[in-house]
Order: sequence, then C-alpha cells, then structure tokens
Amino acid sequence: MIANAVGQAGSNFVDALALFLPRILTTISIVLVGWLIAVVLKGLVRFVLRSVRINAAAERTGVAEVLKTVEMPAADLLIASIFFWLVWFGFIISGIDALGFAVLEGLADDFAAFVPRLLVGFAILIVGFLAATFLWRATLLAAINARIPSPRLLAGAVRALVLILASAMALDHVALARSIVLTAFAIAFGSVMLGLAIAFGIGGGDMARRVLENQFPERDRSGVDDVTHL
Amino acid sequence: VTEQSLLSDELLEQLIAVGQVDVLVGVPTLNNAQTIGGVVRAVHRAFNRYFPKVRTVLINSDGGSTDGTRALVRDYASDDSDTFVVTHSLRTMHRISSPYHGVPGKGTALRQILTAADLTQARAVAVLDPEVANVAPEWIAALLTPVLGQGCDFVSPVYPRHPLDGPLITQVVRPLVREAYGRQVREPLAAEFGCSGTFATHCLDQPVWETDLARFGIDLWVTAAALKADFRVCQAPFGPRVVVPSPDKPGFPDVFQQVVGALFDCLEVDAPYWLPRTQFEPVPVIGTIGDGAPAVPHVDGRRLAETFCADIQSLQSVLEPILSPGTLSRLQGIADRDCTALQYPDDLWVATVNEFLTAYHHGVMRRDHVTRALMPLYLGRTGSFLLRHAEAPAPAAESSLETLCGLFERSKARLVERWNHNDRGDEWLR
Repeated sequence: MIANAVGQAGSNFVDALALFLPRILTTISIVLVGWLIAVVLKGLVRFVLRSVRINAAAERTGVAEVLKTVEMPAADLLIASIFFWLVWFGFIISGIDALGFAVLEGLADDFAAFVPRLLVGFAILIVGFLAATFLWRATLLAAINARIPSPRLLAGAVRALVLILASAMALDHVALARSIVLTAFAIAFGSVMLGLAIAFGIGGGDMARRVLENQFPERDRSGVDDVTHL
Repeated sequence: VTEQSLLSDELLEQLIAVGQVDVLVGVPTLNNAQTIGGVVRAVHRAFNRYFPKVRTVLINSDGGSTDGTRALVRDYASDDSDTFVVTHSLRTMHRISSPYHGVPGKGTALRQILTAADLTQARAVAVLDPEVANVAPEWIAALLTPVLGQGCDFVSPVYPRHPLDGPLITQVVRPLVREAYGRQVREPLAAEFGCSGTFATHCLDQPVWETDLARFGIDLWVTAAALKADFRVCQAPFGPRVVVPSPDKPGFPDVFQQVVGALFDCLEVDAPYWLPRTQFEPVPVIGTIGDGAPAVPHVDGRRLAETFCADIQSLQSVLEPILSPGTLSRLQGIADRDCTALQYPDDLWVATVNEFLTAYHHGVMRRDHVTRALMPLYLGRTGSFLLRHAEAPAPAAESSLETLCGLFERSKARLVERWNHNDRGDEWLR
C-alpha cells in the first residue's frame, strides 16, 4: 500500500513535471529572447541618442554635471539602460505569466499598464530638471548682476523647489505609494514654510535677524554705477 | 508703397510740402524734454552757419513722449542770440515733428528718418543723440561736411574720451569690432552719425527693421552695415559731450545685455563678411581733434574688483560650458589673489571675450544667459584696468587700449578656427 502511494506520488510528480517543464522552458526562452531583444534595443537607442548628440545637450543643460556628481553613466548610456531594463523586465514578467501560477496571473497586464505611467513620470522628471536648471541659471545671473545678496543660495533654493515639485508630481503620476508621497511632501513643504514664518516672525526675531544679516551681507552696487560704461 | 506705409499721411503731406532737400537732420526722441531744445537750437545754428545755401530739413521722430518733447521741437523759436551770431540762411529751414508707429524703439524712429531722407532725396543725412545737452553746431557740420564735400558715405563721431571713460566701448565693443570687421572705428556704438543718401537707401533695403537688433542695437548695426558693405567710412571729431539720460533708460545690467547681445548678434549676422577677411585698416579722421584734455573720471576700481572676486565662485558652473578649462582656471587664479590689487591680464581678457562670443555662436546655453554671464567678468576687467591706470597719464592708458585692440586683432585666426569648430577643450591660451 505504501509502495502504491509512493508510486502514485512519483507518477503524479512525473505528470506534473511533464506538464510544467515545457512552461519552464517557455519562460526561460522568453527571458533569454527578451534579454537578446533588450540588448539589441539598448544598442539601437544608444546609437540614435548619440547621433542626435544627447550628451552635448545634457552638458548644455547641466544634466551631465548632475549625473557625474551622483556617479551615474552618461545620458546616452543611462537612457539606453533604462530602455534595456524596461524591455527585459517586460519579458521577465511575461515569462513568469507563462508559468501559469494563479497568484501571478495578470502580472503582465499590470506591468503593461504601469510602463506608460513610468515613462510619463520620467518625462515629468526630465522636464522638471530642465526647468530647474534654467531657472537656477536665470536667477543666479539676475541676482549677481542686480547685486542681490547671496545669489547662489537664492538660485539653489529656486532649483531645489522646482526639483521637489517635479519629483512629487512624477511620483504622484506613477502612483507609487501616492498617499505617502503626498503626505510626506505636504508635511515637508508645510513645515519648511511654517518654520520660516516662525523664524521671520515671532519665534526668534533677533536670531533670525542675525542669521539673515550674516547670510545676506549688504552688497554695495555703487562701484558699478560710479562708472560711465558707455 | 512701402515707404509711404512707414510714414503717416500727415508726415507724408509735410514731406511733400518740403520737397527735395540737400541735408536732412534726424533726431529720434523719447521723453527728452530736458535736452531737446538745445539740440534743435544747435541744428538751426548749424543750418544757418554752415549750410546757408542748401535746402535743409530737421525731422524729429518721436516714440510717444509724454513730457512735451514734440511740442518743444514744434514750437521752437530762434532766440535773439541766433540772429546775432549766425549767418542767415538763404532758404527756408523746415522742421517736422512726427510720432512713429510700429515696433517701439530707436530702430523704428531711425527707419522713419531714413525713409524721409530717401523720399526727399537728401544728399546728406545726420542723426543726432537727443540725450546730449551741449550739442554744438560744429559737430553737426562735422557729420555732414565729409559726406557733401569728401565723398564719405558714413561718418562716425570721435568723442574726446579719457581712456578710463566708457569701458564697455573701450574693453569690449571697439576691440571686438576691430578684430572682426578689421576697421579701426573708435565709437562703433555712437548714437550720432552722418551718411549719404545712398547709404540711407542701402540701410532701408536690409532685413533688420523688424528684429530685436533694430530695437536694441541699431546704432551698432548701422556702423556694421557701413563697414561690411564697403562704403567709404570716415570719422569726425566731436567736443566733450554732456549726456542727460532719458528717464526711461534701463539699468546697467539691461544696458550691458542689450549692447553685448547686439554686438554678438551683429557678428553672427555678418559672419560671412568678416570670417574670411584678414586685413586691418585705419578709418580716416576728417577734421582736427581739439586740444582740450578730457576730464579724468573719478571711479574706484577696487569695488569692481572685489565684486568680481565675490562673483566668480558663484558663477563657476555657469562658466564651465562657456570657457575653456585653462581660461576658467586662470580666472579663478586671479580671483583667489588679493582682489584690492586685481590684475586681469590683457591676454586673458581677449580669451574671455572671444570664448564668450563663440559660446554664443554655438548656443552652448540660452543666448541671453551667455551675455549676462559676461557682465561680472567685464566688471572685473574694468576694475583691474582702472586700478592699473588710475594714476597713469592719459597717453599711457590710451596706449594700453591700443595694445589691447592689437591683441584682439592678432587673435582673429583663433576666433575663426573656434567659430567654425566648437571644441571647448581646445585651450585659447596656449
């Protein structure tokens, strides 16, 4: 009887394996073919980006500098890598879907729905970054030329504000932990503003004055205006 | 038809009534009530004293003054002193004041004046600066006589400047115009000029009038137009000028942006002319330059130098895409030393200006950001020049300016190379 049961289990296992092995092979094939397609696409995307001189544009807009600072690869390689991972990840999900696990059903559809949102999120980030760089430079130059105190601080604040706003918008669009993102943004932004208001108002008027006096020393513009330039 | 549409019916009727003239003097105005009376008086005296036998007209093209400028021109009456000191004209002296319509700015005013000159077939035209409080009849004659008597097509004034005066002209505009166009014009940005009717017609045919260049840089464009079309260009000496700026004048950062932007735009537009040009020629001065030494401007270069040192660190990441690494590193080097004795050397300034120009041409960033980023460096160079020559005699400072222009001229080959091939890694200062 025991021998029968063991034999039945072995037979069931062999049947299941016979049923499941092709699925595993299909999954492995999908993942491998996907990797191959992703590699080819990565090369193609990189070639196109290089031919439109994306790295030069990244240098012009200041993106290259930031990528270098955070030890990321050049813009063409970064975008091509993102494409590679999106495509390959899509194939991996499809492969897993092919296994036919009930709990993983619909994963590919969810991923297909997520990719456009992710791409738009990236686009929002890029536009936000470009806007932040442009506004940072415009503010810096205007502040320096108008002899406004602490131009770097002012321009940096403008850039940070735009970047935070763009990041919050991108995350909101991707809908990744939306409530946490929105709450964190609201708390952070609100607390900074409240802190500033208190500092400027009643909380520490004298201290705020001293800090501001140190931070924003008087800049004399008489030197510029004394000269008859034309 | 085009000419007529540029002129209002009223102005057209007035010009038809005037008929053909020999000399036309134009004054573009915008809220110049403080000074316009003196300008009109000088024009009348010039007509009486120097051109009594020719047909003359004064045209005031106004941009919508609200301070009564037009009324002052229209109602001007010769005072008694005119009667005693001047020769009486044998002809009627016509005077017209008209508002211009279209794009606001000096360009449209000048276009109206040149159109009127074309319509009245004027042989010689002089355009005056309405902000000058002490215009002399001799200056007007100096602008017109070379056109009428010596075949000049364009006459640019020579102001008796102290070498420390007008650094935006002496450090940027003059040397760069000399380097590119190869002609030694002392005041490429002068608001006054004289020209022939032929040159006026030539200007009207150019596609500049609807552009920002006409709005903000028409004075420079007119000079460049004369140089690039190989018109016969002359210079005429003026006396010391007293300028009363119009209340609508923008602050220096905007002026700097407009002047440098116009200069770079002119060089961009005229590149096909100046890139292959290799010769450098003087421009003849017709008339005698007065003996009187111009006043020494009392300005403190130290403040400008200190401003430069404070700004250069903040600007580092803006300057990186514009300047070659060697130029940027030398700039940081001089800013790190004692700023009260800042020394911004000539060769470094030549490299700075040329690299900014090529960065502007190659569009390494938004163009107005390029020109705005040059201002702090210009203030540093000005501060350094003032510090170096504050105690020096004027001829020594003048000689320094000439040396600087020479350095710019010798840099032209590098500029052309850099203009054609953008390579920021290629060091200017080898």
